[in-house]
Amino acid sequence: MEDARLVQDFLGGNHQAFNQLVGRWQDRIHHFAYRYFASSDDAAEITQKTFIKAYQKLNTLDDVQKFGSWLYRIANNLCLDELKRAGRKRSTSLEVLKVAPQTQLETPADGGLIRSEALVLLHKALLQLPNEQRMVVIMKEYEGLTFKEIAEILDESENTIKSRLYYGLRALKKTFDSWNIKKEVFSYD
Amino acid sequence: MTKDEARILFMDYIYGELNDTEKQELELFVNQHEDLKLELEELSDTRSLLQHLPVQSPAEQLVMMEPEKKSTSTSEPWWKGLAAFLSPQSGFGRTGFAMATFVFLFFVMGAFTNMNISNGDNGFSITFGEQPPVQTGYSAAQVEMIINQVQRENAQLVNEIVLAAQEQQEVQFQQTFASFADYLNDQRSTDLELINIGLTSLEETTYDRFRQTDQVLGEIIETVSIK
Repeated sequence: MEDARLVQDFLGGNHQAFNQLVGRWQDRIHHFAYRYFASSDDAAEITQKTFIKAYQKLNTLDDVQKFGSWLYRIANNLCLDELKRAGRKRSTSLEVLKVAPQTQLETPADGGLIRSEALVLLHKALLQLPNEQRMVVIMKEYEGLTFKEIAEILDESENTIKSRLYYGLRALKKTFDSWNIKKEVFSYD
Repeated sequence: MTKDEARILFMDYIYGELNDTEKQELELFVNQHEDLKLELEELSDTRSLLQHLPVQSPAEQLVMMEPEKKSTSTSEPWWKGLAAFLSPQSGFGRTGFAMATFVFLFFVMGAFTNMNISNGDNGFSITFGEQPPVQTGYSAAQVEMIINQVQRENAQLVNEIVLAAQEQQEVQFQQTFASFADYLNDQRSTDLELINIGLTSLEETTYDRFRQTDQVLGEIIETVSIK
């Protein structure tokens, strides 16, 4: 069943339809917030708040076909609110500095260590981007949204989004070069 | 196509949002410019590096609990339902309802307490209970009493003024006599001092003359003896 149909069902009084929407979108919103903050706790909190807000405001959604974009907009605003509230300017979190998960599979000992460190640095590099560039990079690179969808979510023009992405990738390239992160590090796969 | 336009298309290109024609056109243009070609490769490499970023899935599945619906059970007293039905729901309505209730209670209480609202020369006034009789003028006895009181007060006032004037006059006389006595004393002292100075001067003059006379007589005697 499509999201739009579930939204309509929920608005028609079917509470379980919303839980189905949660089941569909929880991972994506959690991943989005995790990549933004590099913190599981923050990601869980943002995800929870996003769905609570969506539950309360779903009747204000004009176009049920755009539920996904609308949900990302809520999550994005909550991420920005969290940044303002916590006043966090940290370039990385303690969690990022731990050994990265899901990465040390069947790799030689030394190679695995280098790879883990490189993964930590990847996240640190992403966290060093300005918020608006980081948001666009995450939405495009990891969430797979189109430029049009991102422009709608962030209420900007498509060219602005492309420009932010371009400068974001350029900045990441510089950071990777300065930290000596190369493709070869991940070639153990 | 300019280089800047090509750079904007880079984003569409590396994320596969160009159609075939645009893609071929961009590739043709990029192949003619080594710097753009290098830049595009770098962006693609950066993208491929980002693909390795790890992610964590949520620890638990969220479930939204359905809020409890408002029950219509008969356990609530009937008057609560009636009150809820009669009381307005909006903030504006509640405010208006509260004001109307206050006005109503005000007049009901006024009726029980003989409230009287009046607006006279002295301003707006609200009184409760029996009203005092309104006095429109003075009786002859009251007028006589007032006149007598005014006369007494006037006599007392005049008496006080006279006494005060007498006291002030006495004080002024005493001050004048004291000043005159001081003046006489000063004058006397001055005269005595002048007399003393005169006598001293006379004494000195007399002494000088005696001395001069003795000196002249001495010279005469000496002159006569020599001759």
